[in-house]
Amino acid sequence: MVNQTKVALAQMSCKVGDKAHNMRSMATYIKEAKKQKADIILFPELALTGYVTKDRTYELAETIPGPSTEKIAKLAKENHIHIIYGMIEKNSKAEGIIHNAAVLISPKGLIGHYRKMYLPTHSIFEEKRYFRQGYETPVFDTSIGKVGMIICYDVFFPETVRLLRLKGAELIACISASPSVRRNYFEILTAARALENTAYVAYVNLVGIEDGLQFWGGSRIIAPNGRIIIQAKYDEEDMTLGTIDYTDIPRTETFVPTLRDLRPELFDELNDLSKKL
Amino acid sequence: MLLTPSVLKIDQEETKQKITRFVKDYVTKTRVKGVILGMSGGIDSSTNAALTALSIGGNKTYGLLMFERETKNKMDVDHALQVARQFRIRTIIIDITKLLNAIYKSTPDFTPPNYTAKGNIKARARMLLMYYYANSKNLLVSTSSDKSEMMIGYFTKHGDIAADIAPQQDLYKTQIRQLAKHIGIPDAIIEKPSTPALWPDQTAEQEIGIPYEKLDLILYGLEHFMETPQIAGQLAVPIKTVESVKKRWLKAEHKRRMPLSPKLGFRTVGKDFRLPYDTEVE
Repeated sequence: MVNQTKVALAQMSCKVGDKAHNMRSMATYIKEAKKQKADIILFPELALTGYVTKDRTYELAETIPGPSTEKIAKLAKENHIHIIYGMIEKNSKAEGIIHNAAVLISPKGLIGHYRKMYLPTHSIFEEKRYFRQGYETPVFDTSIGKVGMIICYDVFFPETVRLLRLKGAELIACISASPSVRRNYFEILTAARALENTAYVAYVNLVGIEDGLQFWGGSRIIAPNGRIIIQAKYDEEDMTLGTIDYTDIPRTETFVPTLRDLRPELFDELNDLSKKL
Repeated sequence: MLLTPSVLKIDQEETKQKITRFVKDYVTKTRVKGVILGMSGGIDSSTNAALTALSIGGNKTYGLLMFERETKNKMDVDHALQVARQFRIRTIIIDITKLLNAIYKSTPDFTPPNYTAKGNIKARARMLLMYYYANSKNLLVSTSSDKSEMMIGYFTKHGDIAADIAPQQDLYKTQIRQLAKHIGIPDAIIEKPSTPALWPDQTAEQEIGIPYEKLDLILYGLEHFMETPQIAGQLAVPIKTVESVKKRWLKAEHKRRMPLSPKLGFRTVGKDFRLPYDTEVE
């Protein structure tokens, strides 16, 4: 069992549709993170392609595993580091179906991936137009801790992180492409998810401007007690590193016993009522 | 939601930062040498010019002053030049009277005084010159339109709105006033009545028929899905006024979009052929 892990949050800006360019940026961040002794580095949602890809989404999709995961796996191996990043996944059973995915790779290769469950399709967001939603909440028991992943808008729904936590996740990686008009929501919700689940939340956001949308950065690691351990700059490219101490979790679970006080019967009622909404 | 003036308050510095970042980013991505915009001496164009200069530098910002005999006002010229000096903006001054007269004379059945038809020729002639300089100097054209005027359609289709970027188009007029003050636009420019300068003595508020302070709150209510009776009740204005603003907003959609076309193909430009702005092609 691992007690501590050093996390790097690489809030990059992307060149829309240019995977080779974005991969080069990622490689630079990975080398720098390794130099600073990071065990894992996180990149934002759809970091491989940029977020606002519109109809180019289809041509940019790749299977997992696929050419890009292989290249990232090579970088993970060379730098002996875990990597989480976002990409457009082409479904291997039905090629016309695509997903918004978060991929976890270790120095030994691809560990697994998560498909975004909640696809925002309102305001300027049009994810349901392109992606099929995910149905699974895998937790990966790795050499750097028990890791669960969510993507951006998922953080608005406490059920997802609760499920990951109940499956044993201690580090929730939330990769994001959040535009600046929504900064306030994410600052509140990321802290809430950490505190209500007594887990670490590592939030990494995109920066830069795509189609007039400005992404605000502000990536952060939040401790199980809701405290922000480290935070990256707003609105500009940045990488920040922080150390997670998993031994803090049991202490916080005693002081803020949200898991002890869970009321399962309410979930039955929630289930019924949400169907009738 | 309560429609009080406070709902229109903006974080001035943050808004300035967002707009200047936006301009700089798009200039970089499109690899142009700068930005050109019309400078009338009014609040919208003065603010846009200043923000552009703050973003990419005055030496890469071109202010085109295009006055003509019927609407020329010495104070407006002075104001435009004052802002250009203050933010070190390059200026090109053209008297477009001859150009306009040539168009009027070359147009069979030209029948003034049809104010709108004639006025729109002025706006489109200004656009023509802006694109001439944009093409010859490798610049982006920037429109100074604001959200109030965009929403009610108070602009000339393919005229003052024709541009590559619209940095302040998501700000209501009263919000532009806040931003203008913040970046140091002189009070005399902020406080004088706005005019599109399409015919003599034209003022925007007189033509729209409602002060911007009220108009912006009505539009803000519509933006936030409020019903017209609710807006009228809160602002203590006749429901007829709110409904007329709503009608103008709905009727003007054709001015804000690509031309309407029938759906015939697999993917159709302007409908379901969606590509990102930011694809950088080598």
